Amino acid sequence: MDYLEIIDRSDSGEYISEENWDLEKVAMTCMRLVSQYDLKWDRQNLVPDDPALADRVFAAGLALAVEIGAYNRSSERILRFERDELESALRDMKQTLSMGQGADERVLFARQIEDSRPPLVWAGNPGAPHPEALFLPAVVSWAQEPIVDLITCGTLAEVDGREVRTGEALEITATRRELTYLHQALAHVGRPGMGMLAAQSSVSELGDLAAANPDYLRTCDAHLVPMLNELKIDNRNIARAVNSIEYGMRNGGLYCAISGGLGGDAPGCALISVASMILGLLTNRADYHILHPIHIRHVATSTREVLWVESVVLQAFARNAPAIIVTDVYPKSGALTRELLYETAANALAITVSGGHLEGCGSADGLVPHATGLEPRLMGEVGHAACRQGVTRAQANQWILQLMEKYEHVFRMPEGNPGARFDQAYDLETLQPLPEWTRMYEEVKTELKEMGLDLSG
Amino acid sequence: MNDVIITAIQQTLIEGNVETAETAARAALEAGVDAQTILNEGLMRGADIVGQQFEAGEVFLPQLMFTARALKAAMAIITPELKRLSAESGISSSKGRVVLATIQSDIHDIGKNIVSTMLTTGGFEVIDLGVDVPIKRIISTALDEGADIIGCSAMLTTSMPFMSDLIKTLEAMGQRERFKVMIGGASVTPAYAERIGADGTAANAVQALQLARQFMQNALA
Repeated sequence: MDYLEIIDRSDSGEYISEENWDLEKVAMTCMRLVSQYDLKWDRQNLVPDDPALADRVFAAGLALAVEIGAYNRSSERILRFERDELESALRDMKQTLSMGQGADERVLFARQIEDSRPPLVWAGNPGAPHPEALFLPAVVSWAQEPIVDLITCGTLAEVDGREVRTGEALEITATRRELTYLHQALAHVGRPGMGMLAAQSSVSELGDLAAANPDYLRTCDAHLVPMLNELKIDNRNIARAVNSIEYGMRNGGLYCAISGGLGGDAPGCALISVASMILGLLTNRADYHILHPIHIRHVATSTREVLWVESVVLQAFARNAPAIIVTDVYPKSGALTRELLYETAANALAITVSGGHLEGCGSADGLVPHATGLEPRLMGEVGHAACRQGVTRAQANQWILQLMEKYEHVFRMPEGNPGARFDQAYDLETLQPLPEWTRMYEEVKTELKEMGLDLSG
Repeated sequence: MNDVIITAIQQTLIEGNVETAETAARAALEAGVDAQTILNEGLMRGADIVGQQFEAGEVFLPQLMFTARALKAAMAIITPELKRLSAESGISSSKGRVVLATIQSDIHDIGKNIVSTMLTTGGFEVIDLGVDVPIKRIISTALDEGADIIGCSAMLTTSMPFMSDLIKTLEAMGQRERFKVMIGGASVTPAYAERIGADGTAANAVQALQLARQFMQNALA
């Protein structure tokens, strides 16, 4: 089904108000399907080894997609799809996807549960606003890490000291400058062909159009096309997807279902995530998926609810419709805190053994420029070690629970645990972590080794 | 007898059932229960219980939204009587009127919707303009509707400057003192709110309701 058909259905589908979509369609249907498919979660079993549960989550998600479809917020119409249309999209789903070029090219692939092939490590903090002076050094800090395969970045909140406003002239400037800095970073670390998920400073189609040029986003790179909460798209995001298709670039379908939101608790979030990813193949024209569930109160992906959702959704696809799923790591804590490293390790374990690739870290919820290259290094090391060692879901769960004892208190801190800004954690001359940050990293690695994870490789 | 009726009204709000909420409100009026009592001790108390359960993570967003919907339905039943009482006493039953919007260029609305629901369940009249709302429309609606409070949200850092523009425009129009302006969103901090001249910000929907109540209490003081 091509995008013209999506545009047609956006204009001709059944009308429904957004409030009724949210309540009558999404919330009511989720409530019924969670009960019908007996979807339950256990706060002590965040990486379940339960094939039947994974299959039920997938079946319920597909049922949701078939039953209600997606909603076009611009036209206030429902986009309905027949079961065979969705199943056909699943069958045609890419199993490999080349990113980047030349010696730096990497191939994303559909991972399996407890796959011995290590996840690709996609480093960066999409969405986090950065002052212009810190943008390039921050990107270099993770691009220089040998374990990193692909990069992404935050946004430029200002250029030349002026605030960037969505949909106005400086969005174009900011998007092109972001891409210029990214290419400078890749040249600086000697990996000019690395694949990127970028143009993060582009929120409207203005930035997207400005970046669709080989000097900025190349056709071997990717850009986000988000599904809006929940199960919604709008004409502007369809336009972004079409821009990528016409240009020949990759679309990363982004799905941020909310645990505690319209689907209710974690099981409802899981089935919305599955439905989003199935529908996103058609509505978002996704070449690969970015799984990023959100906790309604704490945001972070390191909460029990979100860890469970990420794990069970990855397993649901791995068993029923193998897919390329890059899974976000957005810890609550920021740089120069031990908790950031514990959260990163817990997230990386859950994702790796469940069948996902790793993307992050959106440290401090991705709200501030408090991310560095050190935590994606650890994220990759943990993911690689888990594969090398053949870590099972049960073992990963046990370690995650131990790690949670060390970091779960951050969700009770009124101001969160934002830690320090990039330039307080890294030396801006050498672009290496400051001694205190290195010491914390080494100490946490020692703790992980003592726990049983073989980080010697 | 009244206690039984009031408890039944609370229960319909907790269940978030539109039909039973309407029936219970109608039955209470027919039984001679004062409309103000139905509102304050029945509807508001029931909604408050659900709001507390939501804050504690015991219920989720759909339950809160169903309660808000049931509250609106029951309010429609008792509003004529409330208006009559209000005309007699000269005291309004509304806690205040809020114009709410996700600011121009931003399409994120979950947080704004939760605030809208919490304010509604807290007794405020909410005019929710939706997402990506131009500042001119926010201001014209606030003026036309006689709002007490303007509430704006932005999740994107690059949308936040439009909240500053809104306040500057109110000032330029000489209308700044007519409204309290509260702002919110993932990246909005108290320091940012102060810097752009907003009257306050809230980290979550419960705090937003507290802030709105505080604005109204200060206005009456």
